[in-house]
Amino acid sequence: MTTNKLSLQQVSKAYGYVDALHPTDLNVAESEFVTLLGPSGSGKTTLLKIIAGMERPSGGRVFINGRDTTETPVRERDLGMVFQNYALMPHLSVFDNVAFPLKVRKTGAEEIRRKVGEALGTVQLAHLADRKPQALSGGQQQRVSIARAIVYNPSLVLMDEPLGALDKKLREQLQHEIKQLHERLGITILYVTHDQQEAMSMSDRIALMNEGRIEQLGAPRELYFSPKTAFAADFLGNSNFIEATVSEVSAAATRCRLSGGEELLAPRRDGVRQGDAVRLMVRPEHIRLIGGDGAAEDNVLTASSLGPTFFGDALEIRAQIADGSEVSVKVANNFEVAAAAPGQPLRLGWSSDHTHLFASGSGR
Amino acid sequence: MRFLTKNLSLPVIVTWLIYVFLLVPSLVVIPISFGTSNELVFPPQDWGLDLYRRALDPAEGWLAAAGRSMVLGILATTIALLMGVPAAYGLSRSRFPGQKALTFMLMSPIFAPTIVVALALYLYFATLGMTGTMAALAMSHAVVITPFILVTTLSGLKHLDRNIENAAMVMGATRLQIFFHVVLPALKGSVLTGGLFAFLLSFDEVIVSWFIARSDQPTLPVKMYSSIQWEISPVLSAISTFLVAITVVGSVVAAFISSAETDGI
Ligand SMILES: Nc1ncnc2c1ncn2[C@@H]1O[C@H](COP(=O)(O)OP(=O)(O)O)[C@@H](O)[C@H]1O
Ligand SMILES: [Mg+2]
Repeated sequence: MTTNKLSLQQVSKAYGYVDALHPTDLNVAESEFVTLLGPSGSGKTTLLKIIAGMERPSGGRVFINGRDTTETPVRERDLGMVFQNYALMPHLSVFDNVAFPLKVRKTGAEEIRRKVGEALGTVQLAHLADRKPQALSGGQQQRVSIARAIVYNPSLVLMDEPLGALDKKLREQLQHEIKQLHERLGITILYVTHDQQEAMSMSDRIALMNEGRIEQLGAPRELYFSPKTAFAADFLGNSNFIEATVSEVSAAATRCRLSGGEELLAPRRDGVRQGDAVRLMVRPEHIRLIGGDGAAEDNVLTASSLGPTFFGDALEIRAQIADGSEVSVKVANNFEVAAAAPGQPLRLGWSSDHTHLFASGSGR
Repeated sequence: MRFLTKNLSLPVIVTWLIYVFLLVPSLVVIPISFGTSNELVFPPQDWGLDLYRRALDPAEGWLAAAGRSMVLGILATTIALLMGVPAAYGLSRSRFPGQKALTFMLMSPIFAPTIVVALALYLYFATLGMTGTMAALAMSHAVVITPFILVTTLSGLKHLDRNIENAAMVMGATRLQIFFHVVLPALKGSVLTGGLFAFLLSFDEVIVSWFIARSDQPTLPVKMYSSIQWEISPVLSAISTFLVAITVVGSVVAAFISSAETDGI
């Protein structure tokens, strides 16, 4: 209990008749980087505001550092927060912005100078201390706001889509910097984003949110390789969905029949019975193109190419299978494109271990 | 030809005529004020600073009235700022029962007929035995001009990013610290503009002052108004010119402040 920097117990929020957040549990350990990932409107900001104390939960308790803070005023929760639009004070210099939380705490002038200097050094902005925020670029302003959130060593730093207003290059650079900062200083971070790549590259654990619930909670790899729902499979990474009907359930595997007549194998899944309509999912990078009579995978489909698309680091080939649906395959960028010209026959093969089975109609 | 018809369409001509019609009377006093006649005539026959000399003569009482109005304006504006700015902050940043009613009450001096407000204030201060005092005048004016401070401050608050205050709160600042160190500095422009307009309103106010001020210690507009009742003295044109100058300078300063604010300075 005391090792958790944050602990949510059955926290919920209703705005009138809208359930913005269903009862939710979440623990964040010391020095952990946890991300709330989900589409817009899934309740991420609501959850963050409840933790910060800006919204009162409709039910449940919030513990920060083991202390029940459900009724504690915002300013006594010992949190740091970074906002998407920086929220710097326009009339104060960079130095005074970062010094603000220390001044509020009546820290001595000498210590303020030292700590602000350190924090600005950490985000490589020591040379811009005298500037006004408006004279800085978006990336620099967000670094100031990060320095301001860590300078007083809060128990937990909340970040609500902090890179949402930045362009792609800058976003990737700051992702890296925030990650390094987290590792070097051991701060505990609860991060919010709707960008699945950002979540996967930065987080120790991801809480995938959908319609006011945590749909799945786990390490990035866990969510990517073992999505529990079609929504999770669809939201993280690219995915191909194939509709099928269960034809046989054995101890080891589930055999499914497509409307085109082919059969595919998927791992066994509790509660799935013969005759059930299901959705099978396989990631584009797990599908191989099998030439001629090459070594067969346990799942093979014949398809007709719809043509390749070049993405620089990879090549995507879209193909149509017998039931008319489309499947995309990711191959290396040195792939011989003539073999995937529109109309060319293709054989797609993948392991049954990479096949995920979901109840039909679930997810988006 | 097309250029002319395009730019001199009927609505444009009418608009300009209305402007001129409204503006000329206030501008016509300027040349008159540099005349020497004993009556208000336009254009003046002779030119001179005679009227200004008479306006500044202490025996005429204009200078004392102007000083009184100045002090009154400063006092009333100060009171109105002290009430209006915190009230606007409280109203915009919290939700409580009766909030709409309170807002309406604070704004009501704008909607109510001034003569009714003046009468009410007169009766109130008469009961307290305070009519004719500077304190009563200042408080009365404050009641009338506070709504304008409230409106300008509320509009300034609307443009202020709420997350800046949220951030300050998360960082440990109290409401009071946030008000003085975050909100007020950011609202400087709207507060100054609002204060300036409020001052001009007070400086210009006749009806309430007429009821509250002692008849032998009138404010400048009251003295002007009462002097018109007996004789139309050309000295008024000099005073009016002075008032026009103050208003123009005040408006220009206010416009400058608000444009500087939108530029983010
Ligand atoms: N103040 C509010 N009043 C009413 N509904 C709200 C309010 N804030 C959020 N909501 C609703 O709650 C849901 C979750 O919103 P939010 O937490 O902002 O989502 P996210 O941050 O994941 O985009 C949405 O349906 C949103 O419309
Ligand atoms: Mg949000």
